[in-house]
Amino acid sequence: MQYETIKVNPLSPTIGAEISGVNLAKPLGNQTFAEIHKALMTHQVIFFRDQVMDWDQHKVFGRRFGELHVHPTAPSPEGHPEILTIRGDAKSKQVAGQTWHTDVSCDEEPPMGSILHLHEVPEIGGDTIFASMYAAYDGLSDTMKAFLNGLQAWHESEHVHGKRYGHKGGMRDGKEILFPKALHPIVRTHPDTGRKCLYVNRNFTTRIEGLAPAESKALLGFLYQHIETPEFHCRFNWRANSVAFWDNRCAQHRALWDYFPQTRHGYRVTVQGDRPA
Amino acid sequence: MTYETIEVAALSPVIGAEVSGVDLAQPLGNQMYAEIHDALMTHQVIFFRDQELTLDQHKAFGRLFGELHIHPAAPGPEGHPEILVIHADENSKHVAGNVWHTDVSADEEPPMGSILHLHEAPKVGGDTMFASMYAAYDALSDTMKDFLGGLSACHESEHVHSRGYVSRGGKLRDGENAYPSAVHPIVRTHPVTGRKGIYVNSGFTTRIEGLAAGESRALLDFLFEHIATPEFQCRFNWQSNSVAFWDNRCVQHRSVWDYHPHVRSGHRVTVKGDRPV
Repeated sequence: MQYETIKVNPLSPTIGAEISGVNLAKPLGNQTFAEIHKALMTHQVIFFRDQVMDWDQHKVFGRRFGELHVHPTAPSPEGHPEILTIRGDAKSKQVAGQTWHTDVSCDEEPPMGSILHLHEVPEIGGDTIFASMYAAYDGLSDTMKAFLNGLQAWHESEHVHGKRYGHKGGMRDGKEILFPKALHPIVRTHPDTGRKCLYVNRNFTTRIEGLAPAESKALLGFLYQHIETPEFHCRFNWRANSVAFWDNRCAQHRALWDYFPQTRHGYRVTVQGDRPA
Repeated sequence: MTYETIEVAALSPVIGAEVSGVDLAQPLGNQMYAEIHDALMTHQVIFFRDQELTLDQHKAFGRLFGELHIHPAAPGPEGHPEILVIHADENSKHVAGNVWHTDVSADEEPPMGSILHLHEAPKVGGDTMFASMYAAYDALSDTMKDFLGGLSACHESEHVHSRGYVSRGGKLRDGENAYPSAVHPIVRTHPVTGRKGIYVNSGFTTRIEGLAAGESRALLDFLFEHIATPEFQCRFNWQSNSVAFWDNRCVQHRSVWDYHPHVRSGHRVTVKGDRPV
């Protein structure tokens, strides 16, 4: 893969690459945009260092990749509904994303990608692990692949978001949205790369349609454990002003909370996606 | 902890530190030896970069920490029975250590520590993950801690070593004619730090003494999954001539085989330990 305007340094053979040679706060030329997009398609999650961005610049960068997504239930800073605040500190009883997941998969059209910018990080700790759902799919037997290709699963959010955010009613676009839920194929085909990947996650997926409860539980349990195989992973060590941009269609992630009582703080912009197929 | 002769940079708040300012090929002064030992006791696994070591220098460094262990089933290079060869390349069908384990826990007196020196690391990939068994123990409920504190488990090696080693024509160590197996407490107290750690692993531990088969399997499955919690871990990225030294009494590790068909090659020296209590 040739890049002319950026440098791309893989973190693992399977997933993740650090990108250098770009300032995300400035408008991107078409060539730089195309190469960043290509790196994201190839590596599934890309990382940038030393990026100083305000909310507007963060949103402008996100909009290069599509319309921005508004979280169904999480509060946002005044005037910036597209900004999701990520914070863990001495008062935290839990932190976001500590279970393997892809963002907001309970939406009918879940986000294509998420762009997290951390301003403040603990001196040590607070890494994020990313897992390639291409590698997870490729690692299955042909028999299991064929079986899963015919199945769909429910993704729900009340058990996740009800605890943390509560239900305030009329939350998104002024519309009355209850906690979203959606039925998605277990194996989805990535709309850009055409590659197949697993699309169930421990956080939002509750049951497989058409299976008895015990069957569904056993199969989901297997898949969740399979997804946690370290060969499918990379582990990213944040610094202040690092940015991670992951493709929610083919990558899952999990935040580590090993830094209590220190502070880890930043903002996420989330790019809208299409219905999994 | 103040160090005067070495520098110690933690990899995570829980486990792992990179040690610099030392050449392991040279004899170590008493102060430097004591500080390396302190760093190992504090961080449970320590890492060194850019170390050129012959087999004799590697063994001399190991002997500072105790007598050297001879692997029951893996023969060393000619004249060096204390050296364990770690090698994977394009012809490998499996690699060593690809499940969570502590080294040779099936011995009655398992090794206190292992010192791995890689002279050839893949350009990307081939990391090793380390997990703190102190952190794994500390995170259990008091009720579970009490229950486990009274239990012992059987550690066996034939299912592990008969495939990889003796089937290639090797002989067991010192004319022994049986694969080692041993019963160890599930919770062991570290002889130096006095801290408690979990001492069962998915590589060697086969059953819990005194429980019915189904009970034993359920409890071990829970413990193996619990031990794999990312908050207890660090992930080390090797370069050629990196060295990792881990304390088998309080650490488990798992190699990541994501680099096929590339070569990852080195030698391990293993330091004898005492009977777990």
